[in-house]
Amino acid sequence: MESEKAIEVSGLAKTYKKFLAVDHVDFDVRRGEIFGFLGPNGAGKTTTVRMLTTLLEPTEGSIRINGYDVSRQAYHAKRQFGVVPEESNVYTELSAQANLLFTGRLYRMPRGERERRTTELLKLFGLEEKQDVKAQFFSKGMRRRLTIAMAMMHRPAILFLDEATSGLDVQSARTIRDQVRQLSENGPTVFLTTHQIEEANQLCDRVAIIDHGKIAVIDTPEHLKAVFRSVQSVEVAFDRKDPGHRDALGMISGVSTVVKHGDKYRLYSDDLSAVLPEVMDYAHAKKLRIITLNTMGPSLEDVFLQVTGRQIGTVRHDPADKSLGRGSGKGRKGGNR
Amino acid sequence: MSEESRMDRIRGEFSQAWALFLKDVRTYYLTPPMVMWGLALPLFMFFSFSVRRGLAPQTGIARLLALTTFFTASSAGSVIFPLERRARTYDRLMAAPMALITILLSRSSVGAFFAVGISLLSLLTGWALFGASVAQPALLTVAVILSAYSFSALGILVASGSAQSPGQIMMPSTLLRWPLLFISGIFVPLDRMGVWARGVSYLSPLTYAQDLLNHAVLGTGVQSIVLDVAVLALLLILFLGGASKLQRRSRKLGY
Ligand SMILES: Nc1ncnc2c1ncn2[C@@H]1O[C@H](COP(=O)(O)OP(=O)(O)OP(=O)(O)O)[C@@H](O)[C@H]1O
Ligand SMILES: [Mg+2]
Repeated sequence: MESEKAIEVSGLAKTYKKFLAVDHVDFDVRRGEIFGFLGPNGAGKTTTVRMLTTLLEPTEGSIRINGYDVSRQAYHAKRQFGVVPEESNVYTELSAQANLLFTGRLYRMPRGERERRTTELLKLFGLEEKQDVKAQFFSKGMRRRLTIAMAMMHRPAILFLDEATSGLDVQSARTIRDQVRQLSENGPTVFLTTHQIEEANQLCDRVAIIDHGKIAVIDTPEHLKAVFRSVQSVEVAFDRKDPGHRDALGMISGVSTVVKHGDKYRLYSDDLSAVLPEVMDYAHAKKLRIITLNTMGPSLEDVFLQVTGRQIGTVRHDPADKSLGRGSGKGRKGGNR
Repeated sequence: MSEESRMDRIRGEFSQAWALFLKDVRTYYLTPPMVMWGLALPLFMFFSFSVRRGLAPQTGIARLLALTTFFTASSAGSVIFPLERRARTYDRLMAAPMALITILLSRSSVGAFFAVGISLLSLLTGWALFGASVAQPALLTVAVILSAYSFSALGILVASGSAQSPGQIMMPSTLLRWPLLFISGIFVPLDRMGVWARGVSYLSPLTYAQDLLNHAVLGTGVQSIVLDVAVLALLLILFLGGASKLQRRSRKLGY
């Protein structure tokens, strides 16, 4: 059963106890594309991936993987994909090589192919020298690479990557991104999640922005760039407080919104380079000393508000409503406070 | 995509079960928790309750076999499942194209064969040191394997809840197993129990295993062999069915 679409999702929802973690989302992923789920901590990305990969049963909705319904044709659906979960889950008691060989057996690969593919992947992911070392002695980055290699073992048609680069240093993250891009050239369809706008922009053909379990928009990075630009900001604080600052700063040309956070003002604009000198001039003219001056990249929360048409800076989420369970450790670091 | 035939599908499940079995044996046999709960504990139980009372070698062997199948087999599941859930490697099995029952049967075999191995050692030791002999070797083979599978499935059932470390499982698992041990006909033979005690002893799966082993080793038992075998087989099915239900439920709850 071949299908045009690699993944078809409709009306997908998940409720934990009474908490709605994924709120009736619909989307399709085309064959061969890299599709990204971009959202802040607790948005519902992992929950969605776990449902797509049969590890979690949806409360509502349907999922087709390469045309196979995951609940009714689980066996066939499972043969279509490989998963890289949020936390690397290699068998720490086994060597890198044994991990790959075992995965090959779980996917019923014939022995010869299993061995060939293992050698190939160890090389591709730079693990040949450590192939006989138990994975418990691996660094985080090596475990990540091994986890990805294991997901690729049976040459899946679809690869799920949940935060492929989280917790890695810049260099390792870049290596992994390069590999994902290369792999997908003539390889699998990729579904990835990330909370980094840059990563989504660099890798994805299309991006879905998700928060609070809802998809706000699905579009190409090119189109989304305009949105991202409009929610960059300059953050400034002066030594003297004056209620007049806010209006004065709002008059600067190119500034779309000014939001006050504590003693700081945040000026949103799609052309920060023009705004910065004007802020300096204002400080000069008023004989103010600048205490803080930061340029802020787009924060996901702001992007989300922007595309859902709510006003930036006006709606703050109560962190308490989302801080239960696994997502909580990282908290919401929108950079907005 | 070519459709696999039913035969290919079944053969595939067998090869996956075998691969998983080999991996588990390689990874978990002789790890500290397995040795502790599966080997040291039954031996300790045996020596503290039996040896001092100057038991006849054959009765001793039958009892030791019951103890090892019970404790050794049921430990494996209680050790492996929580470890793999915590390391999230269990997700690998759940996402692989194989049936849940294949995973459960493969895992039952891991505990069962550990217990069969230990039983064989006990038997050889008993034979070498005390010259203990076995009345019905063929029946003994069936008895040991069947009890080992039932008790291994019991261990899996207990471990199929939500707990993520063997410590969290071992408490309830021990709380369940010790009463089952003490109400069973293992330390006091069934025919010497009062009516009430005997009635209660029928609630423990161990009673049937001990009786079956008595038939095999001593050549005499209190109940019919058919009843013992039927109860143990039924329990095996119930334990596996229960485990599968619990695991499906946890796929809904999300742990
Ligand atoms: N097993 C669970 N039980 C109860 N609530 C849960 C469970 N798993 C997740 N949640 C909640 O569901 C929401 C979505 O969580 P999820 O892990 O899908 O977020 P995420 O987008 O992957 O976040 P992160 O970027 O932090 O990984 C969170 O509020 C989380 O607390
Ligand atoms: Mg996540």
